[in-house]
Amino acid sequence: MTHAEFEKEGPVVDDQFRLAIDKIPGLVWSSLPDGYVDFLNQRWCDYTGLSMDEAMGWGWQVAVCAEDLPSLVDTWKTVLSSGEPGEAVARLRRFDGTLRWFLFRAMPVRDEAGVVVKWYGETTDIEDQKRAEALLAGEKRLLEMIAKGEALHPTLDALCRLVDDNADGGHCAIRLVDSAGRRVQHGAAPALPPNDRPEQVIVSDIASDARLKDSEWAELALAQGWRACWTQPIMSLEGRVLGTFGLYAETSGEPTPQQRNLIEQCCHIASIAVERMHSEDTLHQVRAELAHVSRAASLGALTASIAHEINQPLSGIVTNASTCVRLLDSDPPNIDGARETARRTIRDANRAADVIARLRALFRKKSVTTESLDVNQAIREVVALLRRDIEASHVSLRTELSARLRPIAGDRVQIQQVVVNLVLNALDAMSTSRDGARRLFIKTEPAGGDHVRVVVEDSGVGVDPADAERIFDPFYTSKHDGMGMGLSISRSIIESHGGRLWAEANRDNGATFAFTLPTSVAVTATGPDDPRVPANA
Amino acid sequence: MTGSSKRTSPLVGVVDDDESVRESLPDLLRSFGFAVDAFASAEAFLSSESLPRTDCLILDIAMPGMSGPELQHELAASGHTIPIVFITAHGGEDARPQLIKAGAVDYLLKPFSEEALVHAVRRALSVP
Repeated sequence: MTHAEFEKEGPVVDDQFRLAIDKIPGLVWSSLPDGYVDFLNQRWCDYTGLSMDEAMGWGWQVAVCAEDLPSLVDTWKTVLSSGEPGEAVARLRRFDGTLRWFLFRAMPVRDEAGVVVKWYGETTDIEDQKRAEALLAGEKRLLEMIAKGEALHPTLDALCRLVDDNADGGHCAIRLVDSAGRRVQHGAAPALPPNDRPEQVIVSDIASDARLKDSEWAELALAQGWRACWTQPIMSLEGRVLGTFGLYAETSGEPTPQQRNLIEQCCHIASIAVERMHSEDTLHQVRAELAHVSRAASLGALTASIAHEINQPLSGIVTNASTCVRLLDSDPPNIDGARETARRTIRDANRAADVIARLRALFRKKSVTTESLDVNQAIREVVALLRRDIEASHVSLRTELSARLRPIAGDRVQIQQVVVNLVLNALDAMSTSRDGARRLFIKTEPAGGDHVRVVVEDSGVGVDPADAERIFDPFYTSKHDGMGMGLSISRSIIESHGGRLWAEANRDNGATFAFTLPTSVAVTATGPDDPRVPANA
Repeated sequence: MTGSSKRTSPLVGVVDDDESVRESLPDLLRSFGFAVDAFASAEAFLSSESLPRTDCLILDIAMPGMSGPELQHELAASGHTIPIVFITAHGGEDARPQLIKAGAVDYLLKPFSEEALVHAVRRALSVP
């Protein structure tokens, strides 16, 4: 039957068959070979709210979600021209406007010569399957976020969004119990009802629930338009309550089995995220303590040993000089004794001077473990080590590490100590700034062909240009708890590597510390590909 | 030891591994009329004949072998109630409360003044 014949004669459907087709629990249709829909069963019409007349031909398209229509029509045309069975997915609009995903399938019927004379089609609701897939994909994304070690709050945000997308109008909120037992709210919904019991609490009607009588929370929730709230504790593996997961609904009632399932699943994911964060926090705390202890130990041990070395001869000087004065004051004056103690005073003073000279030599000529060093990599390691410190200081870090950097010859640990020191100084300098963004910028770049330059720029309190040199003096400090050795030692390290370390005040705010180091090419003076390095240097 | 024979003068023991302290401190203390014996280590003091006669001990904290606080503990454990004035070149007041609590009379940071030293020793000697 052609399109024209159909228009003339109308659909040819046996009454019995028609009855059967209308009763089966599926959306069934048929079309002419050119795709003109000549029949849709009653369920199809009931579901979409279209009459047979409205849906016939190409009229059914108004029931398809506009976004999905072009690809559906394209596929349909391809299937028609191929004459082979085909399928496509698209959202179909129910009579009440609800969009649900459907699978459209078409099968050709051929005559004896193999020519397609008719298409039969079936349209199946796959919304639940689609949702399950979306939920699964969402859960997979969340588990990936957790596995990658992303911060807890973005992970819980994503979890809340996933729930909101899949909860049929429900909204989700998560409340965590932190290590100090305080409650931390998460999510956009109003605060969860007071429930710290490790059990599910279903409030199917907030307005009438006896447990919430006169509760401020209930008023707040009702004012926000919520009518029901279902909460479930987020439990740790050991059975500790980590927090509460809540789903709010705009209509009163019990959660559907799907919603119950969603709550269960999400509590489980939230518990994984929270437990991972707890264990990472513990790990970080231990690591931070270790780093602090080793830093404090190395600098503390250094200052203690300097103090001891200096105090010993000073003590001798004071005691001997005191004795000398007393011997001269005695009657008669003990000249021989005084001479002896004065001699000892000179000896102890020389001893103190020796200590100073030894210290200077220690910092100037300290032999360093020389290896070929990728400065960028060394900085990346420092940034990784200090990542939590930087985050905890609410500082946004930007790095710009030049790919054109040549390796330097130097001591990795010492160079990293310098970078750690500069970064920690920068964080300290920004800790008191109340307004304005706290920005830290670390940059590396080639300098003058045979050097690399490392720049650490902060938006902190800055450096008085008059003090730009003085801050490198030993024992100069602007901090309450500082020993004033960090920059002095840092400069010694950089200079022992043949480089330079200096400070500048930024034009707007903050300070910039920069150091240069010669590349190993410059040290060995074999830089054939660099015209600025003389061949006979 | 010039002072140790005169029982009229109180006997002060100096225990310090630093030679210049062992040279300078006894001379200063003697000029104030104290008898002084100096020792290079805690072990040397414990095994010396001066131990039962010592009225006051000026004791360095950090020494090779037995430390000052260990000697303090050892003396207390063996029933010797010698008042102790600790001296240290290591700076910092961290150790002070613990040592004072364990019975030390004073805790002097090197370099200390003649007045601080004599004041501490006199206090130590007035302690029963």
